[in-house]
Amino acid sequence: MSARVPRKLKASDYKSDTRPVWCPGCGDFHVLHSLTKAVAQIGLRPEEIAVISGIGCSSRIPAYLNSYGFHGVHGRALPLATGVKVARPDLTVICAGGDGDGFSIGGNHLLHACRRNIDITYIVMDNEVYGMTKGQPSPTTAPDWDSKIAPGGPGISPFYPLVIALASGANFVARAFSGDPNGTAQILVDAIRHPGFSFVQVLSPCVTFRPDQREWKKQVHPAPVTPTSDASQAARRVMTDDGFNIGVLYKGSRGPYWQTVGQEIRFDRNIEEEFLI
Amino acid sequence: MSKAPDTFSRSFSMAELLVHALVIELEAVQSYKDLAVQMGQCGNNEVAGLFEKMSELEAGHAAKIREKAGDIELPELAPWEYRWAGLEPPENIDLAGIHYLMTPHHALRLALENEMNAMAFFEAAANGSTDQRIRSLAIDFAEDERQHVAWMEDWLAKYPEPDADWDYDPDPPAAID
Repeated sequence: MSARVPRKLKASDYKSDTRPVWCPGCGDFHVLHSLTKAVAQIGLRPEEIAVISGIGCSSRIPAYLNSYGFHGVHGRALPLATGVKVARPDLTVICAGGDGDGFSIGGNHLLHACRRNIDITYIVMDNEVYGMTKGQPSPTTAPDWDSKIAPGGPGISPFYPLVIALASGANFVARAFSGDPNGTAQILVDAIRHPGFSFVQVLSPCVTFRPDQREWKKQVHPAPVTPTSDASQAARRVMTDDGFNIGVLYKGSRGPYWQTVGQEIRFDRNIEEEFLI
Repeated sequence: MSKAPDTFSRSFSMAELLVHALVIELEAVQSYKDLAVQMGQCGNNEVAGLFEKMSELEAGHAAKIREKAGDIELPELAPWEYRWAGLEPPENIDLAGIHYLMTPHHALRLALENEMNAMAFFEAAANGSTDQRIRSLAIDFAEDERQHVAWMEDWLAKYPEPDADWDYDPDPPAAID
């Protein structure tokens, strides 16, 4: 009997038969491609990956992959991902969603996911708008973004997700651009491989409600610095950049949750049995 | 972030040139196929059909390159190790140019631009090589792309530029009243 040699998987092998229903031109198509390229590059098999999301256009992503997936409720992607990782530490857990889901209704979960530093990669496809519900300002929308639903703009300073993630203890922080799918794939490989909580903000244009974001392609540029392991230095850089620096900005050395608590969490079998149906 | 065009190195080995040529076509196959689905979902069936046709043409080009490669072992490169002049392979459609109401004229203009980008890529590869065999292959590829450019120009001539209000939608998705 000959040993079975597993075929090296291609990016397309990770896509499901479900066709994305994103608007033509949406940046999220590229993020999907980048993610499949990244996991193919690492050599993970679909059954070794769980992609967890909340609600929003970008949160549809688990349906378009043939890995394990869970399309959860609004803002609760990170608690779900945490549960999956705790129950199945052998899986590579990737959490994905948008800026509304992740920074508004799920904002508090972001803080504590960073703080716990569980080995999850969180990808936020940031288009600075609620696309699925027809264009309301999100936490990352500029104060003067004028729209029918918020005439004159929301008038509120935007949220700085990377700084918040750094202050809360994320172990890896990066900014990517969907229009650079290969560069994004490289960042995702790095993020997935880095132990602990990795946070990747992907600038992903919404061509329907934010057609102005088509210009992002001309505005992004490689971050003119190498990644630092000093969170305060990384935070200063992020606070003073133009929002279009692309690259890995911070790589921490804090041990992930399992190492911090000194042992792997083991399920209490009695509790598990209580929940058996 | 992927390398900026000014740091783009145009000096390829034979196997590298072949794998770049192949990936240009394979990514274009996928890119056009995805766009065909997206346009079909929006009911823009004419452009969906056109993108489907483009995808088939690119698949044919990929098969020809495989044939040219013959027994040459092609290197396995990570996606970011390819040396494109821009952020993506030259024949990938720029999503920033996509609109759900786009006409065949717009689609063909994008395709024409891509073929011209591919031609420029191979011309640069030919100019960047001192090895006669590699240079000759790159010139061949550039000639193929020049032929594709001519096809696209002929095709585009059948679809005149649409009226200025081509993207008028009486019920636009952004209407929040």
